[in-house]
Amino acid sequence: MSIEIQGLHKRFGHFVALDGIDLTIPAGQLVALLGPSGCGKTTLLRIIAGLEMADCGQILFNGEDASRRQVQDRQVGFVFQHYALFQHMSVFENVAFGLRVRPRARRPSDAQIRDKVHALLELVQLSWVANRYPSQLSGGQRQRIALARALAVEPQVLLLDEPFGALDTKVRKELRRWLRRLHDDLHITSVFVTHDQEEALEVADQIVVMNRGHIEQVGSPQEVYDAPATPFVYQFLGNINLFHSRVHAGWVKVGGLRVQVPEHDAAEHAPAMAYVRPHDIDVLREPEDGDTTLAATISRVSSLGSLVRLELIQAPSGEIAEVEMTRERYAADPLQVGDLVFVKPRQLRVFLYNDPKVESPMHWSGDGDGI
Amino acid sequence: MMFRFRQPSVLPGFGLTLGFTLGYLGLIVLIPLAMAFTQAFHLSWDQFWHTVTAPRVLASYRLTFGAAFLAAVINTGFGFIIAWVLVRYPFPGKRLVDALVDLPFALPTAVAGITLAAIYSSNGWIGHALKPLGIKIAFTPLGVIVALVFISLPFVVRTVQPVLEDLEAEVEEAAASLGADRWQIFWRVIFPAVRPALLTGFTLAFARAIGEYGSVIFIAGNLPMISEITPLLIVSKLEQYDYSGAAAVSVVMLVISFMLLLVINLLQRWSRIRNGWEAVT
Repeated sequence: MSIEIQGLHKRFGHFVALDGIDLTIPAGQLVALLGPSGCGKTTLLRIIAGLEMADCGQILFNGEDASRRQVQDRQVGFVFQHYALFQHMSVFENVAFGLRVRPRARRPSDAQIRDKVHALLELVQLSWVANRYPSQLSGGQRQRIALARALAVEPQVLLLDEPFGALDTKVRKELRRWLRRLHDDLHITSVFVTHDQEEALEVADQIVVMNRGHIEQVGSPQEVYDAPATPFVYQFLGNINLFHSRVHAGWVKVGGLRVQVPEHDAAEHAPAMAYVRPHDIDVLREPEDGDTTLAATISRVSSLGSLVRLELIQAPSGEIAEVEMTRERYAADPLQVGDLVFVKPRQLRVFLYNDPKVESPMHWSGDGDGI
Repeated sequence: MMFRFRQPSVLPGFGLTLGFTLGYLGLIVLIPLAMAFTQAFHLSWDQFWHTVTAPRVLASYRLTFGAAFLAAVINTGFGFIIAWVLVRYPFPGKRLVDALVDLPFALPTAVAGITLAAIYSSNGWIGHALKPLGIKIAFTPLGVIVALVFISLPFVVRTVQPVLEDLEAEVEEAAASLGADRWQIFWRVIFPAVRPALLTGFTLAFARAIGEYGSVIFIAGNLPMISEITPLLIVSKLEQYDYSGAAAVSVVMLVISFMLLLVINLLQRWSRIRNGWEAVT
């Protein structure tokens, strides 16, 4: 089922949670709502589910207006961050709940319910816990039971609110891969909320990046990572280096470094922000000709498993920059703290300060998890 | 499996605290109760049996336990509603209402009895209004129930309230998203979660109502065979210097109360295990 959201607004008192959301979620896709806490992503999910009512705006399910439908009639499966299992029921009864509460005419027989529940427990690979109670399960198991319970009613849409947020890193990674495979088997339109950019990049077909009640960008993981539409998206997805700079006649100047930026041909002496990902920087021992490198001193070397991260102090400005390189590359030329090097950005993205898409950087520097 | 009396623990002092607990319980509860037994067995078995099965005494058991049971049942229902309203809905004066619930705890029971008798007697406010309908409350078994409902009200409210407060809203939302209507959410999700607390509240209210004396004697009228409760019977025996008779009736009451509370406790344990709150041991 496709979901269309048009002009959605929601306030809580004076707090604007959603400020004009327009979004189309095509049928059968797995979509991530990604953003820092307080950006409105959970509110949006709850409004889609019918657990919250929007102040204005519409939600269309398959082109039909569902804005006034009760949560019971929306045919959505909802998975909560803290599982929200029924503590006094066995796992079996938890999963069977949605079938048992159906009106008599549509309620399956006991035998059908049993078969269905067992099939679902099989699907989440937990058929052996059917007679246990939720308090006897681990967090990962509880969340899988919550998912089985949501799937039991054959929902048209699956909505997951930070489904792996309460789990430890290892279980979280396992479960998100498992969710991806499950989605590939079932093809049920799914929306999940997360503040973890890695999770969104790994699992989702489409990522909706949200910030302060509005949508910053919608796109595939590759699009939002490689071509961020706004500085916020750039900062929020992955680590960044920010260089304050000036753009003039299609060239950006950062310290002694000059890079051509044809998209800003018209700008004249405009203050700008240049972003470079830590893995898009080469570190050289010798300067290159023609203002393509910046001098810097290495202040810290740390090993992060498969990567080595260098912290550099830029020679003229004293600003700190981060560079990431593979282990092999580092091993080929092991740089030491105190070495004088020359950095050369391979890829650099420039946003002008007076661009309407660019907010004052003060706002989002604090609340992005990816920084 | 070997029974292990003493579990290793980070907090020392098991021996001391257990000793204190047993000593205290013995001093405060067991010794006085044992005295009732010794006093009662000054009677021969025939005398004892005759005393505790006299028709007037039997009628008083029925009234005491029956009225206490009904009062506890009534309070289980209304106490739950009061707790629900106090937890779920914000309204002006909520704190005041909340404090009001505890008043029956604090009020001397005699004051409660006199007030209730005044209001429910045939020339009191409520008694007067009910008179044309043919309902008499004061000086009837109904009056006893009213008094017991009054004094045991706080128990259910105070046991259920914290449990309701702890119920996650998400659980109800999950049930709603699975298609359950309000009734189903209440009966299948909320009520089972609250049931153990409700049973505890019921037990406390019941126990309190069985032992109540002060408020009942004013409103009951104390007519033998009709509205005379067992505690009053014991007191009147004492007033006639029939100490052994009083002790005999007390012992019977004690044994019945103990059995009832034991049964309720077992019931509660069974209900908890069945609902997965506790692992089966």
